[in-house]
Amino acid sequence: MSGEDTRVAIVTGAASGIGAAISALLAERGWRVAGLDLERSETELPLQVDVADRDALREAVDRVVGELGSVSLLVTAAGMYEMVPVAEIDTDRWRRMLAVHLGGVVNACWAVLPGMLATGSGLIVTISSELALAGGSGDAHYAAAKGAIIGFTRSLAIELASLGVRVNSVAPGPTDTPLLAADSPWRAPDYLETLPLRRLVRPEEVAQTVALLVEEGGYFTGQTLSPNAGAVI
Amino acid sequence: MERRFENKLALVSGAGQGLGHAIARRLAAEGARVAVNDREPSPRVDAVVAETGGIAAIADVSDPDAVTRMVADVEATLGGIDVLVANHAYMSMAPFIDHDPDDWWRNVDVNLSGTFFLIRAALPAIRRRGGGRIVIIASEFGVVGWANATAYAASKTGLISLTKTLGRELAPEGIAVNAIAPGIMDTPQLDVDAADAGVSPEEIRRRYAGEIPIGRIGRPEEIAALVAFLACDAGGAFVGQITQPNGGATRNLA
Repeated sequence: MSGEDTRVAIVTGAASGIGAAISALLAERGWRVAGLDLERSETELPLQVDVADRDALREAVDRVVGELGSVSLLVTAAGMYEMVPVAEIDTDRWRRMLAVHLGGVVNACWAVLPGMLATGSGLIVTISSELALAGGSGDAHYAAAKGAIIGFTRSLAIELASLGVRVNSVAPGPTDTPLLAADSPWRAPDYLETLPLRRLVRPEEVAQTVALLVEEGGYFTGQTLSPNAGAVI
Repeated sequence: MERRFENKLALVSGAGQGLGHAIARRLAAEGARVAVNDREPSPRVDAVVAETGGIAAIADVSDPDAVTRMVADVEATLGGIDVLVANHAYMSMAPFIDHDPDDWWRNVDVNLSGTFFLIRAALPAIRRRGGGRIVIIASEFGVVGWANATAYAASKTGLISLTKTLGRELAPEGIAVNAIAPGIMDTPQLDVDAADAGVSPEEIRRRYAGEIPIGRIGRPEEIAALVAFLACDAGGAFVGQITQPNGGATRNLA
């Protein structure tokens, strides 16, 4: 796979939930992981940065390259979630949602791609959401932002396919992470009964899907893989 | 390599060559005992059986009675079935209006009905093991369609719909059903394509690779790795999904 030589990975949103699970699994598989997050992550090189801040993110990526070496894997898991009826999504909320999700992905790609293109190899995995595929009530801004990530992923994949960089997305279903509050409707038994698997997705299952793409997914690019407990089929 | 299939029992259809051979080899390498299905006995089936330490499971999957007998033999010999991989396929291409009706239906009988017969026969055995995994090999043609492949594409899109429906139906009892819709793969089918096109096997591979965004044809081992993922705990959150390893050839969601 790409990055056998360096095996340096950047994971955004690495401090908790899906990002933390991905970071832990990659470290277990021999990757040197830099975790970029607003909070301090449990990774080899934790850097506290807002992914929506393009300059700050670029500085952080430069620091990773300086300390660990060139980056051959980027996983964008940074995110936020809130359910808001569409009439109550004010401009600030809308912009913040897009800035963190779509902006966070784009900023990270801008920062890591020059290095990947210089070596002619690399892998980018964006974490999107089943809500980008099927939508959900109160999720207009979240679904729009995550949907934009999938469109971006597909286009970047085609643009970079002949240059040795693969780009895929993982669209998890409702996952058992701190992003889902204890009283979240996604945790309610009535909702879980609607899932064919009858349970939330485990963060480790999302991480395993990323690991598949990293280790044996060389024929995937532009794809969206959906470990979603059957939420969207 | 991890050994995620210790004490697991697998039945792989169409395992005498190509993708099925690679899938059988991978599952066996990770510890599974594998039943190697093919349409008829042959030296190449014997070779796969020998290589994997498995058993031969001969049946034409389009013959429901033969499938029932074969699955019963597999369950009796191996002791059960945990993983079923429906990989067999028949493909013939012709302009729709010219396609011989019997041959047209042969695509559907083998690919779609054959998979139904296999799953119907294996389900009781999988249930007796307390759950399991089913992986169906569909095709990129079943996602985006293909000129002169109405029968094959229809059968493969039927498999996609079967996967989604059975995914919903069987997940609550611990049986995950998922599919793989590969793009162009380096299998013996390419030699058939080369003969049809009147060019060398190398030339057909070069042409196909040039049409794939990442610039190469898929390797059977890559499909085998994906089957293994979907059939083990790592893929436990996948239900009714259509995965599409195709080198970027299409980004349509199936």
